[in-house]
Amino acid sequence: MAKLRLEITKGEEIRYISHLDYASAMERAIIRAKLPVAYSEGFNPHMKISFASALAVGVTSQAEYIDIECKEEIDVNQAVEHLKASLPMGIRIKGAAYMQGNVPALMAIVNLATYEITVPLLAEDIGIIEDSIRWFNEAEAVLYTRESPKGKKEIEIKQYMAKPITLTALDKAVRLILEIQITPTGSIKPGEVLGALVAMFDLPVDIDNLLIHRTGLYISNANRQVSPVEL
Amino acid sequence: MITLDPAMLNRVIKPARYTGNEWNSIKKDHDTVSVTVALSLPDVYEVGMSNLGLKILYQILNNREDTAAERVYAPWVDMEAEMRERNIPLYTLESLKPVREFDIVGFSLQYEMSYSNVLNMLDLAGIPLFTAERDEHMPIIIGGGPCTFNAEPVADFFDCLVLGEGEEVMEDIIAAVSSWKKAGKINGRSGILKSLAQIGGVYVPSLYDVTYHENGMVAEVLPNCPEVPLVVTKRVVKDLNKVEYATRPIVPFLDIVHDRIMLELFRGCTRGCRFCQAGVLYRPVRERRPELLLKMAKEMVDSTGYNEISLTSLSSADYSCLPDLVDSLMGELKEQGVSVSLPSLRIDSFSIDLAQKVQQVRKSGLTFAPEAGSQRMRDVINKGVTQKNLEDAVSAAFQAGWSTVKLYFMMGLPTETDEDVLGIADLAYKVLDLYKEIKGRRGAKVTVSVSCFVPKPHTPFQWFGQDLANEFERKQQLLKARLRDRSITFNWHDARTSFLEGAFARGDRRLGQVLLKAWQNGARFDGWSEYFKYDVWMDAFKTCEIDPYFYATRHRDFDEVMPWDHLSSGASKQFLQREYEQAVTEELTCDCRREHCSACGVCPGLGVEVLDWGSRA
Repeated sequence: MAKLRLEITKGEEIRYISHLDYASAMERAIIRAKLPVAYSEGFNPHMKISFASALAVGVTSQAEYIDIECKEEIDVNQAVEHLKASLPMGIRIKGAAYMQGNVPALMAIVNLATYEITVPLLAEDIGIIEDSIRWFNEAEAVLYTRESPKGKKEIEIKQYMAKPITLTALDKAVRLILEIQITPTGSIKPGEVLGALVAMFDLPVDIDNLLIHRTGLYISNANRQVSPVEL
Repeated sequence: MITLDPAMLNRVIKPARYTGNEWNSIKKDHDTVSVTVALSLPDVYEVGMSNLGLKILYQILNNREDTAAERVYAPWVDMEAEMRERNIPLYTLESLKPVREFDIVGFSLQYEMSYSNVLNMLDLAGIPLFTAERDEHMPIIIGGGPCTFNAEPVADFFDCLVLGEGEEVMEDIIAAVSSWKKAGKINGRSGILKSLAQIGGVYVPSLYDVTYHENGMVAEVLPNCPEVPLVVTKRVVKDLNKVEYATRPIVPFLDIVHDRIMLELFRGCTRGCRFCQAGVLYRPVRERRPELLLKMAKEMVDSTGYNEISLTSLSSADYSCLPDLVDSLMGELKEQGVSVSLPSLRIDSFSIDLAQKVQQVRKSGLTFAPEAGSQRMRDVINKGVTQKNLEDAVSAAFQAGWSTVKLYFMMGLPTETDEDVLGIADLAYKVLDLYKEIKGRRGAKVTVSVSCFVPKPHTPFQWFGQDLANEFERKQQLLKARLRDRSITFNWHDARTSFLEGAFARGDRRLGQVLLKAWQNGARFDGWSEYFKYDVWMDAFKTCEIDPYFYATRHRDFDEVMPWDHLSSGASKQFLQREYEQAVTEELTCDCRREHCSACGVCPGLGVEVLDWGSRA
């Protein structure tokens, strides 16, 4: 058994597919590439692959990670070449390495995600924007009501914010940079942070037109911050 | 090229329906081709993407260097609203170009209830609805699929309709359109329509006039120009081993209806069930060679990455080399984790052996289609299955470890009595009893699905009146009262949808105005129960002063001119009438490929032979 870890993208071309569909697109690419992937035993065998963190519909990413368990270790470059030829538009491979020994699952180790949110402005004056971001950053706690098919749930957002939000002004739009912690007990989505900014801090943006891009997923502690392929 | 606003895509459900970029989709530069084709099925993406015919045409057309074929499906109601609000015209998934800029738009007409979506899509595309209103700058609107064998209700909206198999005829159409364009569109729109009408299997409705008797029946349908044939006969591919197949189908990102490899073993079916339109339209039986099928299957696994192959044909268990084919498929592909499934089973123990073989890993439910509850009724429809066949098959299935069985039936079949209807319940209980006998305990789950029979053109039952909707509902209640066992799930179809389907299935050109009216008043996605608006349809009939019962529930005489008599499937009217008469007297007709020819007229008429490799071995 060999665990091949890949750093891949979810590009503009497939922005609107769900995480589940992204995963099955990878599965089919792996079959097309004829990688010696391992399957689970049992009545309904499935491919032994796993992802770090799910990405919502409408979100692109330059830093997705996937572990592929292989029955045998084949040359990394060769595996990457075969896979590249089988990937649909929007998925590129940025890095690849075999993980040595018994490494913990991606899902269990990744604890920080960074995002860029680009959203059109509804106000001329950048000062208003700066004010609401500052108020958010200075707030002790921000309670946000998450609505899901299962019902409503109140979540405190600030506990997940690893750093204050920073801001870049673009032409008629604004770009926010977010660092969000992923904890064993949960996390917050970047879209939800923007939702709170608009609803509670009067951020004057056209939230319907937001575009979210994940810029990184990290394993972070007091000493260092590394990406899963840098382990 | 259309720009898709994130605000729009963020708001609709399943936005990936509208963004393309799937594996194996083909993007060509329109400046490098001479003909552009938008292929469409007038339903939502997941349904449209599952259609095998369109997959085949997509590959055949894109194999031509001079042609770009792209896809477009009906936007779901939420997306339609967004598009209308933003003035975004209907566009194709490959180039995101407006459909109205294409040379040809081809609609696959699988089902009468999708007609309102055709009008809606034309309107969204900014294409005039009526063929008479389109000039030579507008696309040529072509229909294909089973409904074209009586597309009279949509005749005014289509420039031409293609009868039969599309592989070869589409190439002829592309060649004609290409040379017409190169010659500077000589004689405009009527020039190209006249030349298309001379291609075998192509019906140009505007070149035919319909006259009616005072009692409302069709008097005659005659060409209004000398260049076109009196009767248009369907196209068939003589040897399926010699035409291109969809070996590189598009792999969607979304979970579609049939999300697997479709391996078409053969076309046609000679069982001769008298209600079945497909059995007539796709005659004769033409099998692919097993070695070619195996090669195709391997190619498709490699090109798609799918891990499931479905053996799709009208009655896959009838493929003459099936056991060997299944063995070789499983032998060659098991290593890659590919499973094989048989969607339709014949009711005998041979099928159970096969089902057991292909479902070694997971035992999902088994599905059988006895179609009718009583032996008398099954003889009327020529199902050729006995009570004993069914009992043996179900017993074999239970012995092999299955416990879930799904049974498909129809109600409203010609000559049906309440006793026949209640026979459905008896059969369901018999299945439960068999389980108890075999296993010594209860525990079987039976699903009984009963649809409302719709008489279709080109079948022996085309002369029969359909049951009234309230008669269907009465029979449904009758059966429901009898099926009061928790182990039995009873599903039935909406009788009013079937009534409308019945009116359009045997309708004539006058129904075009009803369709237009209903669409104007909001009808679309009529096949989807949540959007079916019965009252809108009935109002449209009333406004147009057209009686839907005249089409759906009226019995016809043999000498009546049918609105589709100028459209031929190859099967003669004499054959259909003979089958009708045998139905009434409960006489069976044998399978012409295993026993003797039943003289339907298809083979000699079309110059095509039955191809059955098993019988030649």
